[in-house]
Amino acid sequence: MKQRDSLIYLIVWIFLSFLPNSAQSQTRYSVSGYVKDSTTGETLIGAAVRIANSNRGAVTNSYGFFSLNLNENENELHISYLGYDSKTIKFKPGKEIRLNISLSPVGLKGREVVITGERSDKNIRSTEMSRIELSGEKIKQLPVIFGEPDVLKAITLLPGIKSGGEASTGFYVRGGGPDQNLILMDEAVVYNPSHLFGFLSVFNSDAVKNIDIIKGGMPANYGGRLSSILNVNMREGNNQQYKTSGGVGLISSRLTFEGPLQKGKSSFLVSGRRTYIDVLAKPFIPSRLSGNSYYFYDMNVKGNVILGEKDRLFISGYFGRDILNFQSPQNKDVFFDFGWGNSTATLRWNHVFSPKLFSNTSLIFNRYDLFNDFTFGTNGFNVRSSVQDWNLKSDFTWFPRENHQVKFGLNYTYHTFQPGILSGSLGSTSINQAINKQFAHEYAAYILDEWQVNQRLIINAGLRLVAFQLVGPYTQAVFDNETQLATGESKVYKPGETIAFYPRLEPRLSGTYLLNSESSIKGSFTQTYQFLHLATTSGAQFPLDLWVPSSARVKPQLAYQYALGYFRNFKQDAYESSVEVYYKPMYNQIEFRPGAQLFFNQNLENEMVFGEGLSYGAEFFLRKKAGDLTGWVGYTWSRTTRQFDALNNGQPYFFRYDRTHDISLLLAYQINPKWSANFVFVFGTGNAVTLPVGRYTYRFGVNPQEQRPEFAIVDVYGKVNDYRLPAYHRADISFTYLAKKTEKWESSWNFSIYNVYNRANPYFIYFYPDIEKQEVKAFMVYLFPILPSVQWNFKF
Amino acid sequence: MRSFAIALFGLLALSSCEKEISINVPPVASELVVEASINQAIPTLNYVFINRTIDYFNPQLNLNGLNDAEVYITEGSIQGTDTLYSGTRWKFSLLSDSLLPGVYANLTFTGKENTPYKLDISMPDGKKVSGTTFIGKPPVIDSMQYWFQIEGKDTNSFFWMQWFDGPEQNNYRMAIYNNVDSLLLGWGAAQRFYTFDDELINNAMRPFRSLRPYSYGDTLNIYLSSIGRREYLFWESFGSAANNGGPFATPIAVKSNISGAIGSFTGYAIERKRIVLRYPK
Repeated sequence: MKQRDSLIYLIVWIFLSFLPNSAQSQTRYSVSGYVKDSTTGETLIGAAVRIANSNRGAVTNSYGFFSLNLNENENELHISYLGYDSKTIKFKPGKEIRLNISLSPVGLKGREVVITGERSDKNIRSTEMSRIELSGEKIKQLPVIFGEPDVLKAITLLPGIKSGGEASTGFYVRGGGPDQNLILMDEAVVYNPSHLFGFLSVFNSDAVKNIDIIKGGMPANYGGRLSSILNVNMREGNNQQYKTSGGVGLISSRLTFEGPLQKGKSSFLVSGRRTYIDVLAKPFIPSRLSGNSYYFYDMNVKGNVILGEKDRLFISGYFGRDILNFQSPQNKDVFFDFGWGNSTATLRWNHVFSPKLFSNTSLIFNRYDLFNDFTFGTNGFNVRSSVQDWNLKSDFTWFPRENHQVKFGLNYTYHTFQPGILSGSLGSTSINQAINKQFAHEYAAYILDEWQVNQRLIINAGLRLVAFQLVGPYTQAVFDNETQLATGESKVYKPGETIAFYPRLEPRLSGTYLLNSESSIKGSFTQTYQFLHLATTSGAQFPLDLWVPSSARVKPQLAYQYALGYFRNFKQDAYESSVEVYYKPMYNQIEFRPGAQLFFNQNLENEMVFGEGLSYGAEFFLRKKAGDLTGWVGYTWSRTTRQFDALNNGQPYFFRYDRTHDISLLLAYQINPKWSANFVFVFGTGNAVTLPVGRYTYRFGVNPQEQRPEFAIVDVYGKVNDYRLPAYHRADISFTYLAKKTEKWESSWNFSIYNVYNRANPYFIYFYPDIEKQEVKAFMVYLFPILPSVQWNFKF
Repeated sequence: MRSFAIALFGLLALSSCEKEISINVPPVASELVVEASINQAIPTLNYVFINRTIDYFNPQLNLNGLNDAEVYITEGSIQGTDTLYSGTRWKFSLLSDSLLPGVYANLTFTGKENTPYKLDISMPDGKKVSGTTFIGKPPVIDSMQYWFQIEGKDTNSFFWMQWFDGPEQNNYRMAIYNNVDSLLLGWGAAQRFYTFDDELINNAMRPFRSLRPYSYGDTLNIYLSSIGRREYLFWESFGSAANNGGPFATPIAVKSNISGAIGSFTGYAIERKRIVLRYPK
């Protein structure tokens, strides 16, 4: 869509949506407030607030806030939230009503067994599609590997979201790469969400309140990535009483301490986690390998204070590190220390200007960095690289009328990219080199309106204006394409001088048409740009991968997404179902030339090639939300391709994570008050991989002692991603035993069996040419056979 | 990156398993492959080896050389900005059609320093391969030393050397041949190979230190060569392609510097040193 068209669209929208309508004259007063957990004081995100005897309502935002405009004759609200007893509140109509509503977790009032959940029809009424939420508690109940609950593993059980594999926390949404997902922890960008080389994510489940992922129909208040937004909201801490909770797993333990700073008004939470593989393994490691160790740790800190009726302040932070120490068993002079991690800090201020105007302003810092110290004898060198952002944003939610909810805001980010600094000494020669830092400003302004046009039609339309400005100081060296050497020429940019500037408009439109009280049709269109790109040649996201900005040569990535869905609830909303189809072309996609050297490459852009992508598919989802047995089943049929002039002879090829069929089944069953069980089954078409189709001999020589020729064997590759690995499927089961639950002490055991039927799922394939026997063999490596694990969780 | 991959493999090895599988890959269109090597010092490293690509699961795992090629190398000269290939023309002949199939050489050929050369190959089916290279000035190894480290019953040996990297753009290939007999019969007889350019160190002493140990008493023949930029890019990509495996293997195509075939024509300006890793008597 051209930018001029986008502006016309906005003007027409504003004109149409604010025309007087019949409901306007009936508006009398507004009701607003927060919905909280009665036991902890934590706000509840996504709680449904419905006006009794009406089809109108609202959902609490990320801060638990809602606002509604009521007619004179409306004086009753019904509030519900998954896992909590619903509540109905009656009040006397007034000019402006503020409510602080507390919901009690189910089971608190003498009932031990969760037999009811949220029976909400918000999935058919809201304009949101392709958006799913999961609570931290839910994630902890899922079967896990090594006794470690994991947020990112959990979301890959949802339709349209595919896992990168057992050794990867990378996920793939509707044909996009892992770098096309914006991962936010309390609004701070997490550039590398992996611990343990991708086996686990950086999110400590004890500190996670809830997550929600938007995989399509992205509203205008989100942007920056092509494929999805994953919001991880950290818990705020109990503002009623001090609590300690934790868990002991096979490879790590967690401990969380929280409590009120001032009861009911402020709280804090400190949560930490550390692996102890290094400590446990130490007695069993031979002395010659004793210099090797690996561990990770992370810490979440959060505090919040209610400053008054209208103001709340939140401060949260994360710090995590992976540390690998390596000493060569063959050469004790050789040491290798490698560490990487994320740091984030978020300061947020909620302000309620009026019941009709809510705002949040955030100042956010985030940084991902790695160090690599390599020492051999008296020589050594150190490598450092990082990406760092300062981000200031303000978001406003305005409820001008009962049928409008307007959101608008501004967002500014200052990016600093440090691709590499290398220093050290080799013999008498000292080395001090750095790849030039890069600096960029990223701006965004947006407005969206969710407009209930009539009883059946709700439209959410928005426009996001984004701009990316790569600025100096920077010295751009000119390289020869053939020799890949600097020509000696360079262009010097002064501080603040623009190197590349990309202003872009992103129109967003989604709508819901209610067919009846149980079903609706939804559609959406989104246009998104992405200015940051991940330099990687592997399928996994690695610590050494670099984030690089758009530049004069590297154009912003662009995607359009069209989605259409049919949503239907059954049995008084106990069952949800949906069918969604999507079509998503992507442009200015980036890949690297085969064999590209990414690390410490002064001329990284020369290794890039540019092309297009296309993904389309259909997603089917059925979810049971109430009763002893809950869960969901999802099926996705999809096709994802890439086309690059410089790859595969310019012919389209399957994206590595193209997955024709993808099935996920999750069942949770409450056996009795003490025992519950979870079952997971996943199936996915095998990944598309490029295999060698031929080989040749090279580097000729003669072994004089044995009188025989010596040579190396080199593989020749055929079409890109032309071979399919065997299908991936697996079943896991877990049982949770509630050992004790009193007001002061709670403990439970989680017993998991991962890969129950011991499926050998492919991790990679390798070939072994046996010259003695004159044959070439193929081997498939698989990671995890059947793996039992146990985890103990406690709270007091 | 390699150290990182080793560490990761070690971690994976704790839990991973493997099994043999059968795979069907489509047949590949066969292409010519040429390894042409000339230098100014060692006659056994002047040769052209010609073979073809074959299907991946073809059980034939030998040299697979092609015997019916016409191979010529022509000496050139630089006149101003032009390079003319009008000097002496050597025919390289097949050494042995059964013992060393596809290996062509001319024992009268000796490369000259600071001289360009041209390669021409004609195959019986009319296909032509051509390429150019340049033998530059050999590097000068400034100093070497070695030492020992006791590891249980073994005595590990390490060595260190350095040479001066001049201000101009330089590229190097080094081969280490661990053998009491110093004569290298084709580059493939050596055991360890390295490529360097002067991206990180330029106009300074350039050190090299062996990280993996040798045994006490080993005799190391070190062949350090200056090579051209296109030749360096080929051998660097060859190093990646020939050592490509594991879960993060990516399809790598070598960066050929010849036309009509996969491969390279490399002119080496060789400096050779020999050290025996034992205490002096």
